Amino acid sequence: MPEGSTLSFGLQIQPQSRMVSIVRRFVEESFEKLVGDPEAVFRVSLAVHELLENAAKYAVGDKTGLTVHFESNGSAASIKLTNETTPEHIVRLRACIEEIQSSKEPFALYQTLMRRTFGVQDESGLGLARIRAEGELNLSLEIDGNMVTIIASCLPVRKHSHD
Amino acid sequence: MTSWVETLKENDFTADASTSERRIQVSLTGTADLTVKTQLDRFLRAVHTEAQRCLAEEVTVDVRQLEFMNSSCLKCFVWWISTVQEQPGEGKYRIVFVSSPSVYWQRRSLNALACLANDIITVQA
Repeated sequence: MPEGSTLSFGLQIQPQSRMVSIVRRFVEESFEKLVGDPEAVFRVSLAVHELLENAAKYAVGDKTGLTVHFESNGSAASIKLTNETTPEHIVRLRACIEEIQSSKEPFALYQTLMRRTFGVQDESGLGLARIRAEGELNLSLEIDGNMVTIIASCLPVRKHSHD
Repeated sequence: MTSWVETLKENDFTADASTSERRIQVSLTGTADLTVKTQLDRFLRAVHTEAQRCLAEEVTVDVRQLEFMNSSCLKCFVWWISTVQEQPGEGKYRIVFVSSPSVYWQRRSLNALACLANDIITVQA
Protein backbone atom coordinates (compact mmCIF):
# COMPACT_ATOMS: atom_id res chain seq x y z
CA MET A 1 0.00 0.00 0.00
CA PRO A 2 1.48 3.41 -0.93
CA GLU A 3 2.88 5.54 1.88
CA GLY A 4 0.41 8.14 3.13
CA SER A 5 -2.69 6.51 1.65
CA THR A 6 -5.85 5.81 3.62
CA LEU A 7 -7.51 2.48 4.17
CA SER A 8 -11.10 2.36 5.29
CA PHE A 9 -14.07 0.07 5.52
CA GLY A 10 -17.55 -0.05 7.01
CA LEU A 11 -19.59 -2.90 8.43
CA GLN A 12 -23.19 -3.32 9.50
CA ILE A 13 -23.38 -6.05 12.12
CA GLN A 14 -25.68 -7.40 14.78
CA PRO A 15 -24.49 -6.30 18.23
CA GLN A 16 -23.85 -9.77 19.60
CA SER A 17 -21.03 -10.70 21.95
CA ARG A 18 -19.97 -13.69 19.84
CA MET A 19 -19.35 -11.34 16.88
CA VAL A 20 -16.93 -9.09 18.74
CA SER A 21 -13.75 -11.17 18.64
CA ILE A 22 -14.51 -12.24 15.08
CA VAL A 23 -14.61 -8.61 13.91
CA ARG A 24 -11.51 -7.69 15.97
CA ARG A 25 -9.54 -10.50 14.31
CA PHE A 26 -10.78 -9.39 10.90
CA VAL A 27 -9.56 -5.84 11.59
CA GLU A 28 -6.22 -7.08 12.90
CA GLU A 29 -5.56 -9.49 10.08
CA SER A 30 -6.66 -7.06 7.37
CA PHE A 31 -4.63 -4.10 8.60
CA GLU A 32 -1.55 -6.14 9.55
CA LYS A 33 -1.10 -6.92 5.88
CA LEU A 34 -1.43 -3.26 4.86
CA VAL A 35 -0.09 -1.12 7.70
CA GLY A 36 3.55 -1.13 8.69
CA ASP A 37 3.01 -0.50 12.40
CA PRO A 38 1.70 -3.56 14.30
CA GLU A 39 1.33 -1.61 17.55
CA ALA A 40 -0.91 0.93 15.80
CA VAL A 41 -2.98 -1.96 14.45
CA PHE A 42 -3.31 -3.30 17.99
CA ARG A 43 -4.52 0.09 19.27
CA VAL A 44 -7.21 0.22 16.60
CA SER A 45 -8.30 -3.38 17.11
CA LEU A 46 -8.47 -2.80 20.89
CA ALA A 47 -10.85 0.12 20.29
CA VAL A 48 -12.92 -1.92 17.84
CA HIS A 49 -13.26 -4.71 20.40
CA GLU A 50 -14.20 -2.52 23.36
CA LEU A 51 -16.65 -0.40 21.35
CA LEU A 52 -18.36 -3.47 19.88
CA GLU A 53 -18.67 -5.02 23.32
CA ASN A 54 -20.33 -1.85 24.56
CA ALA A 55 -22.78 -2.17 21.70
CA ALA A 56 -23.35 -5.86 22.46
CA LYS A 57 -24.22 -4.94 26.05
CA TYR A 58 -26.20 -1.74 25.61
CA ALA A 59 -27.49 -1.44 22.05
CA VAL A 60 -31.20 -1.51 21.30
CA GLY A 61 -32.17 -3.00 17.97
CA ASP A 62 -30.23 -5.33 15.72
CA LYS A 63 -27.99 -2.97 13.77
CA THR A 64 -24.61 -1.56 14.68
CA GLY A 65 -22.53 0.40 12.20
CA LEU A 66 -18.75 0.27 12.39
CA THR A 67 -16.38 2.32 10.24
CA VAL A 68 -12.60 2.30 10.45
CA HIS A 69 -10.21 4.72 8.72
CA PHE A 70 -6.50 4.15 8.88
CA GLU A 71 -3.49 5.95 7.43
CA SER A 72 -1.20 3.32 5.95
CA ASN A 73 1.77 4.46 8.04
CA GLY A 74 -0.26 4.15 11.24
CA SER A 75 -0.04 7.87 11.99
CA ALA A 76 -3.79 8.51 12.11
CA ALA A 77 -6.88 6.42 12.65
CA SER A 78 -10.52 6.77 13.51
CA ILE A 79 -13.07 4.21 14.57
CA LYS A 80 -16.78 5.10 14.63
CA LEU A 81 -19.47 2.93 16.12
CA THR A 82 -23.14 3.86 15.77
CA ASN A 83 -26.10 2.17 17.40
CA GLU A 84 -29.42 2.87 19.04
CA THR A 85 -29.57 2.70 22.81
CA THR A 86 -31.71 3.73 25.77
CA PRO A 87 -31.96 7.30 27.14
CA GLU A 88 -30.59 6.00 30.46
CA HIS A 89 -27.51 4.61 28.79
CA ILE A 90 -26.98 7.82 26.85
CA VAL A 91 -26.85 9.75 30.14
CA ARG A 92 -24.24 7.35 31.56
CA LEU A 93 -22.27 7.31 28.31
CA ARG A 94 -22.16 11.10 28.12
CA ALA A 95 -20.93 11.35 31.72
CA CYS A 96 -18.31 8.67 31.15
CA ILE A 97 -16.91 10.25 27.99
CA GLU A 98 -16.91 13.72 29.56
CA GLU A 99 -14.90 12.35 32.49
CA ILE A 100 -12.41 10.75 30.09
CA GLN A 101 -12.17 13.86 27.90
CA SER A 102 -11.56 16.13 30.86
CA SER A 103 -8.81 13.99 32.35
CA LYS A 104 -5.29 15.23 31.70
CA GLU A 105 -3.86 11.91 32.86
CA PRO A 106 -5.68 9.08 31.08
CA PHE A 107 -3.63 6.32 32.70
CA ALA A 108 -4.31 7.67 36.20
CA LEU A 109 -8.04 7.83 35.41
CA TYR A 110 -7.88 4.26 34.08
CA GLN A 111 -6.33 3.13 37.36
CA THR A 112 -8.94 5.06 39.35
CA LEU A 113 -11.74 3.43 37.37
CA MET A 114 -10.20 0.00 37.90
CA ARG A 115 -10.28 0.55 41.66
CA ARG A 116 -13.72 2.18 41.55
CA THR A 117 -15.25 -0.70 39.58
CA PHE A 118 -13.80 -3.38 41.87
CA GLY A 119 -16.80 -5.62 42.60
CA VAL A 120 -19.14 -3.64 40.36
CA GLN A 121 -20.95 -6.01 37.99
CA ASP A 122 -22.76 -3.38 35.95
CA GLU A 123 -21.62 -0.64 33.62
CA SER A 124 -18.16 0.59 34.56
CA GLY A 125 -16.79 2.60 31.64
CA LEU A 126 -13.55 0.68 31.97
CA GLY A 127 -13.55 -0.30 28.30
CA LEU A 128 -13.74 3.34 27.18
CA ALA A 129 -11.04 4.38 29.65
CA ARG A 130 -8.92 1.55 28.31
CA ILE A 131 -9.29 2.84 24.75
CA ARG A 132 -8.03 6.23 25.98
CA ALA A 133 -5.21 4.96 28.20
CA GLU A 134 -3.93 1.83 26.46
CA GLY A 135 -5.06 2.67 22.95
CA GLU A 136 -4.01 6.32 23.27
CA LEU A 137 -7.07 7.36 21.28
CA ASN A 138 -9.26 10.39 21.88
CA LEU A 139 -12.94 9.75 22.48
CA SER A 140 -15.94 11.78 21.46
CA LEU A 141 -19.67 11.24 21.35
CA GLU A 142 -22.38 12.26 18.89
CA ILE A 143 -26.03 11.91 19.85
CA ASP A 144 -29.02 12.04 17.53
CA GLY A 145 -32.19 11.07 19.38
CA ASN A 146 -31.55 7.58 20.66
CA MET A 147 -28.74 7.01 18.16
CA VAL A 148 -25.24 7.33 19.54
CA THR A 149 -21.92 7.40 17.73
CA ILE A 150 -18.73 6.90 19.69
CA ILE A 151 -15.62 8.06 17.88
CA ALA A 152 -12.14 6.92 18.87
CA SER A 153 -9.41 8.68 16.95
CA CYS A 154 -5.85 9.84 16.91
CA LEU A 155 -4.61 12.82 14.94
CA PRO A 156 -1.88 12.56 12.32
CA VAL A 157 1.63 13.03 13.61
CA ARG A 158 2.77 16.42 12.30
CA LYS A 159 6.20 16.40 10.74
CA HIS A 160 8.18 19.55 11.49
CA SER A 161 10.40 21.07 8.83
CA HIS A 162 13.55 20.39 10.87
CA ASP A 163 12.71 16.63 11.26
CA MET B 1 3.63 -33.42 43.40
CA THR B 2 0.49 -31.92 41.83
CA SER B 3 -2.43 -32.09 44.26
CA TRP B 4 -5.10 -29.82 42.76
CA VAL B 5 -6.18 -29.14 39.21
CA GLU B 6 -8.77 -26.74 37.81
CA THR B 7 -9.62 -26.55 34.11
CA LEU B 8 -11.89 -24.30 32.09
CA LYS B 9 -12.60 -24.61 28.40
CA GLU B 10 -15.15 -22.31 26.81
CA ASN B 11 -15.32 -21.22 23.15
CA ASP B 12 -11.67 -20.68 22.20
CA PHE B 13 -10.59 -19.83 25.74
CA THR B 14 -8.78 -22.31 27.97
CA ALA B 15 -7.60 -21.91 31.55
CA ASP B 16 -5.67 -24.50 33.54
CA ALA B 17 -4.40 -24.34 37.09
CA SER B 18 -2.49 -26.78 39.24
CA THR B 19 -0.73 -26.74 42.60
CA SER B 20 2.69 -27.99 43.42
CA GLU B 21 3.40 -27.61 47.10
CA ARG B 22 2.91 -23.90 47.83
CA ARG B 23 3.03 -22.72 44.25
CA ILE B 24 0.16 -22.51 41.80
CA GLN B 25 0.70 -22.53 38.05
CA VAL B 26 -2.03 -20.97 35.89
CA SER B 27 -2.02 -21.02 32.10
CA LEU B 28 -4.45 -19.02 29.93
CA THR B 29 -4.79 -19.44 26.17
CA GLY B 30 -7.06 -18.16 23.40
CA THR B 31 -9.34 -15.15 23.78
CA ALA B 32 -10.80 -13.87 27.06
CA ASP B 33 -13.82 -11.82 26.05
CA LEU B 34 -17.40 -11.16 27.13
CA THR B 35 -18.44 -14.72 26.31
CA VAL B 36 -16.18 -16.20 29.04
CA LYS B 37 -16.26 -13.45 31.67
CA THR B 38 -18.50 -15.33 34.14
CA GLN B 39 -16.45 -18.52 33.79
CA LEU B 40 -13.14 -16.67 34.22
CA ASP B 41 -14.51 -14.99 37.33
CA ARG B 42 -15.42 -18.39 38.79
CA PHE B 43 -12.04 -19.83 37.77
CA LEU B 44 -10.06 -17.05 39.49
CA ARG B 45 -12.17 -17.43 42.64
CA ALA B 46 -11.29 -21.15 42.64
CA VAL B 47 -7.60 -20.31 42.23
CA HIS B 48 -7.77 -17.86 45.12
CA THR B 49 -9.59 -20.38 47.33
CA GLU B 50 -6.90 -22.96 46.61
CA ALA B 51 -4.15 -20.41 47.21
CA GLN B 52 -5.66 -19.68 50.62
CA ARG B 53 -6.04 -23.38 51.42
CA CYS B 54 -2.45 -24.31 50.58
CA LEU B 55 -1.00 -21.04 51.90
CA ALA B 56 0.48 -20.36 48.49
CA GLU B 57 3.59 -18.21 48.27
CA GLU B 58 3.22 -17.50 44.59
CA VAL B 59 0.79 -17.92 41.70
CA THR B 60 2.32 -17.84 38.22
CA VAL B 61 -0.04 -16.84 35.42
CA ASP B 62 1.29 -17.70 31.96
CA VAL B 63 -0.52 -15.53 29.40
CA ARG B 64 1.95 -15.92 26.51
CA GLN B 65 -0.67 -17.77 24.46
CA LEU B 66 -3.52 -15.47 25.44
CA GLU B 67 -4.35 -13.62 22.23
CA PHE B 68 -6.57 -10.96 23.79
CA MET B 69 -8.27 -9.98 27.02
CA ASN B 70 -11.17 -7.54 27.15
CA SER B 71 -11.89 -4.98 29.85
CA SER B 72 -14.59 -7.15 31.48
CA CYS B 73 -12.08 -9.95 31.98
CA LEU B 74 -9.47 -7.44 33.19
CA LYS B 75 -12.03 -6.56 35.87
CA CYS B 76 -11.92 -10.20 37.03
CA PHE B 77 -8.18 -9.76 37.57
CA VAL B 78 -8.77 -6.45 39.35
CA TRP B 79 -11.06 -8.31 41.75
CA TRP B 80 -8.46 -11.03 42.30
CA ILE B 81 -5.54 -8.65 42.82
CA SER B 82 -7.55 -6.41 45.16
CA THR B 83 -8.68 -9.45 47.16
CA VAL B 84 -5.12 -10.75 47.54
CA GLN B 85 -3.90 -7.31 48.51
CA GLU B 86 -6.46 -7.14 51.31
CA GLN B 87 -5.35 -10.45 52.83
CA PRO B 88 -3.47 -10.27 56.11
CA GLY B 89 -0.20 -12.11 56.77
CA GLU B 90 0.15 -15.55 55.23
CA GLY B 91 -3.02 -15.13 53.20
CA LYS B 92 -1.18 -12.77 50.87
CA TYR B 93 0.79 -14.23 47.95
CA ARG B 94 2.68 -12.98 44.92
CA ILE B 95 1.21 -13.06 41.42
CA VAL B 96 3.70 -13.40 38.57
CA PHE B 97 2.49 -12.82 35.02
CA VAL B 98 4.57 -14.47 32.30
CA SER B 99 3.96 -12.48 29.14
CA SER B 100 5.00 -12.31 25.50
CA PRO B 101 6.42 -9.07 24.06
CA SER B 102 4.95 -9.97 20.68
CA VAL B 103 1.36 -9.92 21.97
CA TYR B 104 0.69 -6.20 22.11
CA TRP B 105 -2.17 -6.02 24.61
CA GLN B 106 -0.07 -7.69 27.27
CA ARG B 107 2.52 -4.99 27.87
CA ARG B 108 -0.03 -2.20 28.37
CA SER B 109 -2.73 -4.15 30.20
CA LEU B 110 -0.40 -6.07 32.50
CA ASN B 111 1.41 -2.85 33.33
CA ALA B 112 -1.95 -1.34 34.31
CA LEU B 113 -2.70 -4.33 36.55
CA ALA B 114 0.78 -4.24 38.08
CA CYS B 115 0.37 -0.58 38.98
CA LEU B 116 -2.62 -1.53 41.12
CA ALA B 117 -0.41 -3.55 43.44
CA ASN B 118 3.32 -3.30 42.82
CA ASP B 119 4.01 -5.07 46.09
CA ILE B 120 2.45 -8.37 44.97
CA ILE B 121 2.63 -8.34 41.16
CA THR B 122 5.54 -9.04 38.87
CA VAL B 123 5.39 -9.07 35.08
CA GLN B 124 7.98 -11.19 33.28
CA ALA B 125 8.46 -10.76 29.55
